[in-house]
Amino acid sequence: MKAIHYINQFFGQVGGEDAADCKPIFHDKPIGCSMMLNGLMPDVEVTNTMVVGDNYITNHTEEALKEIMAWLDTKQFDIFFAGPAFMAGRYGVGCGIVCRAVAERYQVPVITSMNEENPGVEEYKQSCYIFKGGRKATFMKDDMGQMAKFAEKLATKAVLQPAPEEGYFPRGIRYELPQKDGIMAADRVMDMLLKKIGGEPYQTELVIPQTDLIPPAPAVKDLSKCTIALVSSSGVVPSDNPDRIQSASAQKWGKYNIAGKNCLPSGEFKTIHAGFDPEAMCAVPDRGIPVDAMRAYEKEGKFAKLFDYYYVTVGTGTTQNFAKKFGREIADELKQAKVDAVVLTST
Amino acid sequence: MRLEIGRFKVKDIVFGDKTFYRDGILTVDKEDALRCVHEDSHITDADLLIVHPGDKVRLCPVKESVEFRCKVSGGEGAYPGATSPLGQAGMGRTHVLEDVSVLAVGKHWGGFQDGLIDMGGPYQHHTIWGDMVNLVLVADTDELEEQREQQKKNHAIRWAAMRLAEHVAECVRKLEPEAVDVYDLPPLEERSKEVKALPGVVYVLQPQTQMEAMGYNTLIYGWDGNKMLPTFMHPNELLDGCLVSGSFMPSSSKISTYEFSTNPMLKRLYAAHGKTINFLGVIMSTLNPKMEEKLRCVQIAGQIAVALGAKAAVVAEEGYGNPDVDYTAMLTELERLGIKTVGISDEATGRDGASQPLVSMNSAENALVSTGNVSQLYELPPMDVVGELEALARDGNSGGWEGCINKDGSCVMENNGMFCANHISGYSRRTCADF
Repeated sequence: MKAIHYINQFFGQVGGEDAADCKPIFHDKPIGCSMMLNGLMPDVEVTNTMVVGDNYITNHTEEALKEIMAWLDTKQFDIFFAGPAFMAGRYGVGCGIVCRAVAERYQVPVITSMNEENPGVEEYKQSCYIFKGGRKATFMKDDMGQMAKFAEKLATKAVLQPAPEEGYFPRGIRYELPQKDGIMAADRVMDMLLKKIGGEPYQTELVIPQTDLIPPAPAVKDLSKCTIALVSSSGVVPSDNPDRIQSASAQKWGKYNIAGKNCLPSGEFKTIHAGFDPEAMCAVPDRGIPVDAMRAYEKEGKFAKLFDYYYVTVGTGTTQNFAKKFGREIADELKQAKVDAVVLTST
Repeated sequence: MRLEIGRFKVKDIVFGDKTFYRDGILTVDKEDALRCVHEDSHITDADLLIVHPGDKVRLCPVKESVEFRCKVSGGEGAYPGATSPLGQAGMGRTHVLEDVSVLAVGKHWGGFQDGLIDMGGPYQHHTIWGDMVNLVLVADTDELEEQREQQKKNHAIRWAAMRLAEHVAECVRKLEPEAVDVYDLPPLEERSKEVKALPGVVYVLQPQTQMEAMGYNTLIYGWDGNKMLPTFMHPNELLDGCLVSGSFMPSSSKISTYEFSTNPMLKRLYAAHGKTINFLGVIMSTLNPKMEEKLRCVQIAGQIAVALGAKAAVVAEEGYGNPDVDYTAMLTELERLGIKTVGISDEATGRDGASQPLVSMNSAENALVSTGNVSQLYELPPMDVVGELEALARDGNSGGWEGCINKDGSCVMENNGMFCANHISGYSRRTCADF
């Protein structure tokens, strides 16, 4: 197997903070810590190293990715590495940006390593294998060892163990597997029950993520002065679904202009939601995004203005993590646009 | 309540001129056994065969599994209220044939609720039946009204399986069993001070009872579980055939009649009784489609648990999807009442593994045992088929689809369609993990 390794300006021996704006440098052989990585894997050959400044990748992401992809398009590789990034925040985010883009474009396994406090972990753990790394570069050998060990397993097609055993952050993916030692579920229940009763530590087999209880916002004081936006999980989008929002387990949202529209005409809009029979909503898309009713109220002066865009995603099967991310991103935009209130329609 | 289960270990089943058990061999008079199957005129065609662990044989569509049982004394037959007159289960003596089962397979037609069993190959150990000798009833019926329906009651074949199991087990009625298990759990008040000092534990069972139409749900003494509210039961009643499995829900999340009566979770709780726990008994709950019904059941079951003085509970959900709401609501409510819970059920994480594993989740559910993933894709090699493999693709099986069977007989399916494979009864040797 052939691999390409992404590292930052510091580990690529360009320089420290002063060199953080450095544009991508593509090497035709492994350099710096890539050589150590290469030496750890008998079945994987690191053919190239790419070095990018932390500021450049995080501040000029689009340009950086364009340059990186143009170069990667000319390369043959089966696996991609980035880091390890330790606690270095911008380095971690940089690794995450590149890893996600590479995983999406080339469909190859992508491996990096970060300390659990690195902000890159939370943002990118669902997009690639992020191994749990040390806090600083003194852990270089350990962290790289973990990445290399896992790559070797992929190269030799060894059976992969669950995330905690392999050492990477869970990617939000669950599969079934044989119970270790073949212990029957009834015995596992008894073991857990007695430990729970006795106040001893035990490990649940399905960890339920902590949910945030969001207190409802205070009521709007004077509706007649409000700009109101429509936000929805109904999956109603322009008929060609320009943003390719997924019909289930959505990973994105879209916003669409409704300035001057009194309704969402059938044919021009439709729902792509896979969680209900779409016929009725495709016939009258306002059933999902009630532009018609809102315009009527707007004319009556019940509220001041319907915001020029509506925001939409698909609710069915969408994970809490994505829902939270969408909410935050949409709320940021609405706040900046000085929207006062939102009508949130669900299905 | 005291129940004696006399066990006869069966090493093999063979056909012969007479039905009898000797030295671990169960000999079955096929003609005589088939006469009992044909007692129902709706059975239009029936055959019996024997399958062994390791046989390269695929059974499909499997509709039911039943243990060979003979009610010797103290009751009214093996499945009171279903195949026998109503009578108290859980007392007296019952004889069972161990390590074997009756499997009921459709000769042609399958459906949403039916499943598949491989006796050999990579999926042999995905069900308990791959590890035992099975007497297989392959039958067809004249239930034309549901022949092309995705949801089938499978009444004729399921009842034939119970009759057959009881009929064959008659041969050990008068024999002295090789081993007798005694299940003796006295009334709560009559337990010793030492036992009462141990933490009280209830088993809360949520059998599949969501169909509003009759004839599909789990039966409790022959009564459709959809029409009942949670009630307190003695574990012996379950171990003595008061439950008959239903015919609704994707197959892998179902609990077969065999498992209801051999329930390993109950046996573990029994074994711990007097040692580490005070096993109070069973709260028989239900699963319901409507939110108010769900909440009503949870409320009533919670109150029963409190009234019994339960300190801990094991909650088992027969199903996934909509009933996850009943399951998690039960766990959350019991925790709110100060009762420590452990839940046992399966997950649905989607083809890509990225979907939320349970429809509803609450961080109060902090002790869960996971028995399998209904969305897991299985690639099955070709094998000889008993029944009709096309039923997996043609008849709306929950784990199959049009085109899932290849020309050479190999196929791809979701875990959903493997017969009772997630063994929510407690037999499962699989789990789920983060990747």
